[in-house]
Amino acid sequence: MKSHRDEFIEQLLVEAKKNRDVILISVDMGAPALDRWRTELPDQFLFAGISEQNAINLAAGLSRAGKKPYVYMMACWVARCFEQIRYSCAMAANPITILGTGVGLGYAPAGPAHEPTDDLAYMRAIDGIEIISPSFLASIKPIVHLTLQKPRLRYIRLERSMHPHISEFIPEEKSHEIVQSGFYAFKNFSPAKSNLKISLLASGYILNKTKEVGTILEVEHGFNVQILDIIRIKPLNPVKLIEILQGSRFIVTIEEQALDGGFGAAIAETLIDNICQLPCLRLGLLQAYIFENGSREELLNKFGLGQEEIIQKILTFRNQINRLNRT
Amino acid sequence: MDQISELVEKAKEVRKKLIEFKTKSGIGHLASSLSLVELLVSLYFDQNTFFDHTTDRLIFGKAHGGPAVYPILADLGYFPEKELISYAKPEGILRLHPDQSIPGCTYVGGSLGNAIGYASGLAWANRQKRFVVVLGDAELYEGAVWESLLFISHHRLNNLVLVIDRNGLGILGKTEELLKLEPLKSKFVSFGFDVFGANGHDLLQLRKSFSKAPLAPTLIILDTVKSKGISFMEGKAEFHTVIPQDARVVQKMLEDLS
Repeated sequence: MKSHRDEFIEQLLVEAKKNRDVILISVDMGAPALDRWRTELPDQFLFAGISEQNAINLAAGLSRAGKKPYVYMMACWVARCFEQIRYSCAMAANPITILGTGVGLGYAPAGPAHEPTDDLAYMRAIDGIEIISPSFLASIKPIVHLTLQKPRLRYIRLERSMHPHISEFIPEEKSHEIVQSGFYAFKNFSPAKSNLKISLLASGYILNKTKEVGTILEVEHGFNVQILDIIRIKPLNPVKLIEILQGSRFIVTIEEQALDGGFGAAIAETLIDNICQLPCLRLGLLQAYIFENGSREELLNKFGLGQEEIIQKILTFRNQINRLNRT
Repeated sequence: MDQISELVEKAKEVRKKLIEFKTKSGIGHLASSLSLVELLVSLYFDQNTFFDHTTDRLIFGKAHGGPAVYPILADLGYFPEKELISYAKPEGILRLHPDQSIPGCTYVGGSLGNAIGYASGLAWANRQKRFVVVLGDAELYEGAVWESLLFISHHRLNNLVLVIDRNGLGILGKTEELLKLEPLKSKFVSFGFDVFGANGHDLLQLRKSFSKAPLAPTLIILDTVKSKGISFMEGKAEFHTVIPQDARVVQKMLEDLS
């Protein structure tokens, strides 16, 4: 069992040994897999120091010179080099891969500076960027292959710790197909007979809690729940997404982000732009910057994303819709 | 070109064309472009400097001064001369900041402190090619510049030459009065650079500065004058974005040159 981060660097190392153009840039960030890389491929490793802005500019230059640069940093620091990503990579058309580790509250209890709860909002604004937020571990290998085979500006949001529960339920042979389409839908419970179909959409770490919520909604509240794991948050796959959402009474987006401009906003925009009038409930963190001690789960529970709170909000939303339908 | 007198004439011609299309449009930063004229003439036309525009790359940090290269690129056939008249017009290809959509130009322009890092990536990956980055002195306030200096020095990137256009002015006034940059030379020396200084408007001094491809990371500080060549604008911060357009004034500016 590995973290997203270590799996990504290990899989990339395999490829880098076959391709001298692959260059890994670290801004003084370490990882067990990175130690191996530095020993085995020192010529394909660049230490940029704690200088995210220069690291991105450097990567843009490497990209223009025909290299395949990967910049590895804490996810929170993409804000610090936003201009360089926008200017030297997006505007100047220099594809690079940014590996952001420790997304959402993944660094809790390090405090809000280390916890990117708004990175989707600002990174989504970058024209032409692809944002990938994997959940299950088997998807990492096809994502590594994707970055090599189809170079473009990408922000890949990785978990820095091991999370067994979000790493096991997809067979490897299916994961390639899933990465290509950008999402997959599943039902985590036995085929429900209820015609009260709803869809829960999530991404990354919070997917596990979404699954638990889905089970309770089916078993205790008579819903027929479909869960969507959105691996590629930008660009979304609107045609397929809306096709699979059809027939839902409503949809719920759940994200480990503040709501403004985030994951749910991306989904809601896609629904609106494609004249899909499904009611949409967006759930996220109650505040972006959390100054409290606690584990990731404790903070999620306290700031709007506890299991019971999510279920209550969904039930309230259902009641609101029912009332509206009656009037 | 070999003769200094020829190069001086060429610089005069470039400056004249620059003033013509800038005053016609009224758009951009004429003052910041004028301080770069001799540097660009030296690199592009003096056969005794190492820079070869067909293989080497010049990248602007202070891209607001970049339009100074347009008359030169037109002269060298990168695009038709008539494009100069269409500068900053919807039908034209030349923009306020040079970017890679313009023949002979590279990267993008308009955001300070980034070209140096971008060029260091190019230079690290491509040791056989040479790169020149033109930075404004006020651009040195950008912290990213100093991040890149560390990298260039550590990796001994001697195929990357940094040129500072030391005209001494930011938008609000003199750098040394607003927020001291000096002593610049010792700062760069302490970062591990070979540092040279030259009068940025003296084509002989420029030739000497760029005569040999450097063996160590090199930085050249050019003493320049903002708005060089137009007496009433020279060295005055208030002309940063102000371009005279009155026909009589423009006439006087052009006469000033000869």
